[in-house]
Amino acid sequence: MNFFEKIEEPLMVFGDKINNIKFFAILRDAFMLAFPLTIFGSITLIIANFPFLSTDIQAILGEYLGPASTATMNIMSVFVSIGIGYYYARSEDVDPIFGAVVSLVAFLILTPWLSGNLVEVNDAGVTTNTLLEGVTVITTERLGAKSMFLAMIAGFSSSWLYCWVTHKNWTIKMPEQVPPAVAKSFAALIPACLTLSVFLIVHILFTFTPWGNINDFIYELVQAPLTGLGGSLAATIVAIFFVQLLWFFGLHGQIIVNSMMDPIWNSLMYENLDKYTAGQAVENIVTKPFMETFTVGLGGSGATLIVVIMLAFLIKNKQLNDIGRLALAPGIFNVNEPLIFGLPIILNPIVAIPWILAPVISVTVAYLAMASGLVPLTTGVSVPWTVPVIISGFLATNSWQGSVLQIVQMALVGVIWYPFLRTLAKQSEAIV
Amino acid sequence: MKILLACSSGMSTSLLVNKMKDAAKKAGFEDEIWAVGQNEVGDAIQEADVLLIGPQMRMIKKKMEELGNEIGVPVDIIPPTTYGRVDGEAALKMAHDMKK
Repeated sequence: MNFFEKIEEPLMVFGDKINNIKFFAILRDAFMLAFPLTIFGSITLIIANFPFLSTDIQAILGEYLGPASTATMNIMSVFVSIGIGYYYARSEDVDPIFGAVVSLVAFLILTPWLSGNLVEVNDAGVTTNTLLEGVTVITTERLGAKSMFLAMIAGFSSSWLYCWVTHKNWTIKMPEQVPPAVAKSFAALIPACLTLSVFLIVHILFTFTPWGNINDFIYELVQAPLTGLGGSLAATIVAIFFVQLLWFFGLHGQIIVNSMMDPIWNSLMYENLDKYTAGQAVENIVTKPFMETFTVGLGGSGATLIVVIMLAFLIKNKQLNDIGRLALAPGIFNVNEPLIFGLPIILNPIVAIPWILAPVISVTVAYLAMASGLVPLTTGVSVPWTVPVIISGFLATNSWQGSVLQIVQMALVGVIWYPFLRTLAKQSEAIV
Repeated sequence: MKILLACSSGMSTSLLVNKMKDAAKKAGFEDEIWAVGQNEVGDAIQEADVLLIGPQMRMIKKKMEELGNEIGVPVDIIPPTTYGRVDGEAALKMAHDMKK
């Protein structure tokens, strides 16, 4: 056990550090803000694209339900931007609603707008450039997946600057008779003007670069390389390995690893979603719903629903049966703390190998099944991690193959675990 | 007594909350017991008499203790075995002992 203790200490420190980094905590909260909106958009998308409906009905549903997903998931960067501004300002004891607005405006200042130049398609399907005077637009594409990192960078830098100036007290002081709301709006005046001026200058400077705007610059130089790297099989395996390792020491693996990976996985998800709603082929295998559905969605971290089932019904050992039965109901909804702390999995050398190996192999199989075209990729529809297996696989990919893949993965996890569970049963009998 | 439980999203601790409520009813205690995720715990602790943290989130203990010390709310980690067995009685007893 001494060996384990040696590893536990640095892991604990690492987990504590990551979890308490303000940057990650604020990002987590900002994405939490987007969560109900994403689910709302996802539900309407799932209904509109239900595979057993005729294409005519799908088209009609799509037209009526379309605004629900366009107003939520397709412009997700707006909410991430608002969330970052709000939570950052709140953490600095600055009025959060102003932080949110400043962050959003900073993001919008850096976003390319189109003025008086709309592309229109006429009846014959010919694309023409039509000049519409007096019309200014931001395309939803600029507020969605491709602007996620811009929204994050603009959000954090503008909030930091806004709070910094506010704390400098370069505000206009109002006499006490002035109503608080009025005084508040004046208090925000100088910090907001200063912060936004900086972003306006950045915007102007970027019009002189080959990119023309900072949105494309950040997408090409930061977001695309990072999401490309983070969406690779190797990175996914590393992420899962760390999740399992942290859980093995009884630390919440996802909360620590996802802090770092969620911005990437979410961006990849919204990219798929943009393609999916536009009727194009989706491209990203690894996305947030991929991670939720084909790893955690199989019974919790470690994909342990099948393990719980085997413990409850297959293994001939009263004590293990009891643990399995206790963990079964929560396990169906992918909550497996009763197993992790009950079996226990933490610091248990017998189960260390399957605990870490099974999800790594199982996610590799899922990746290859999608890369080879056997199973359709995730559509970008968000599926909460508490949705039970088989249902979640269907919802995430909008196909029955997704469910079949989950069944195959579970079988695989079961095969890997079985010999170790027998060892566990024998050992517990020996003790009795 | 107001007993607050916290984990990552309040999901797995809510299992224990139900068992604790059963145990409290049996023992005739009038306890208010609820679970929250880590992003809400900072606000929720203001309303609580004690805070129990899920063992998998023990890295937030230090921060929560600082908060708890300011307002006189004791903070502790639920033992892994209690957590694994979803042992409502043990967790309830622990909460009551902490406030003594």
